[in-house]
Amino acid sequence: MHANDDAQAAEKEVLLIQWLRGAARVAIGYSGGVDSAYLAVVARNTLGMHHVLAVIGRSASYPAEQWAAARQVAESFGILVAEVDTDELNDPKYAANPSNRCYFCKSELWSRLVPFASRFGFQTVVDGTNADDLGDYRPGAQAAREQGIRSPLADCGFTKSQIRHRSRLLGIPTWSQPSSPCLSSRLPYGTRVTTERLALIEETERAIRRLGIVDDLRVRYHDDLARVELSCDELAHWLVPERFARLRDVVIAAGFPRMALDLRGFRSGSLNVLHGVGAA
Amino acid sequence: MSIRRETAGGEPTLEGALAERGLVVRVEPRAGLAVLIADEATVARLGDTELRRTALALAREHGFTHVAIELRTR
Repeated sequence: MHANDDAQAAEKEVLLIQWLRGAARVAIGYSGGVDSAYLAVVARNTLGMHHVLAVIGRSASYPAEQWAAARQVAESFGILVAEVDTDELNDPKYAANPSNRCYFCKSELWSRLVPFASRFGFQTVVDGTNADDLGDYRPGAQAAREQGIRSPLADCGFTKSQIRHRSRLLGIPTWSQPSSPCLSSRLPYGTRVTTERLALIEETERAIRRLGIVDDLRVRYHDDLARVELSCDELAHWLVPERFARLRDVVIAAGFPRMALDLRGFRSGSLNVLHGVGAA
Repeated sequence: MSIRRETAGGEPTLEGALAERGLVVRVEPRAGLAVLIADEATVARLGDTELRRTALALAREHGFTHVAIELRTR
C-alpha cells in the first residue's frame, strides 16, 4: 500500500471511531471474516468490552473452521460473543436457491439478531459491508436495509484493501485471510441447498486444505462432479499428473464421485454467470 | 494431419478445435461448463499458461463460460 493510501486508511479509521462513539453501543453481525473482525476490534478498542456485542449467526451454511477462527479472534481481543441459530435452510424460498438467495438468508439472520441484540440493550446493529461491496450484486444488502442495519465501514468509505491494511497494523490475524462467503455460494443458482450438500462441500474443502493449500479455494457443486477452483499460482502446481491424481483422490474420498479442476482458477462469484448447470 | 470434428449440423466442435491445437480430450458439455476429460499427458500440457489461455479462449468461442479438466481414469 502506498503512503497516500496508508494515510487515507488511517483517516477513515478516525472517521470510524467517531461513528462508533456516536452510536455508543453496537451489536455486530459477526462472521469472523476480514471485515467484521476488523469492525469488532475497532469497536471494542473504542467503546470498551461491555458496549460491543459480536453476534454469530450459526447454520449449516457457515463453515465450522470459520466459526472457530471467529471465536479465537474475539477471545484474543476481548470481544464479547453471542450466537444465534438461524434456520434459512428450512425456508423453501432460500432452499430453492434463486439468484437472490442471500436476501432470504440475511432476512432470517437479521430477524433473529436484531431482537436478540435489543434484549441486551443494543439498539444499533451493524454489519461489515465495505465500500467495495456497494458495487456488487448483493441482495443480502436489501434485507439489511429493511431491518435497519447500519454499515459503518461502507459509510466511512473503507475498501477491502484498506481494511486488510489496518487489520494488519492492529495485529488482527484475519488481515490476510481469503474471502470466505457462505457454503451455499458453491451451488449454482437453481440447485437446491440442502444440509447434506453443504456438509459434502465443507468436508471436501477441508480435505483439500489438508494438502497444504492456503490461498483462495472453492469447491463448486455440480451434482456428481466437484469443480475445484484454486488460485492461479496453485493451479499450475496441481496441473502435474501425479499431484492432480492426489487432489482427485482426496476429493473422491470426501464423497464426490468425480473431480475436475477449473482451468481459469478461482473467481469470486464464479457461479453468478453459470446458471442451470446442476440439477435441482 | 488436420483434425476437424463437427456437429451433425456441420458446426465445428470445441473438441475438434482443441484437437487442432494438439489437445486431445473428450468434452462433456454441462450447460455453460465444459468438462475436458483428458489423459495425463494433456493434463501436464495444460500446466502451460499460454496453452491454458488458448483452451479457455476456444471454449468461450464455443459458448462456454467455464472450463474444467478431469483426469481420465485408466
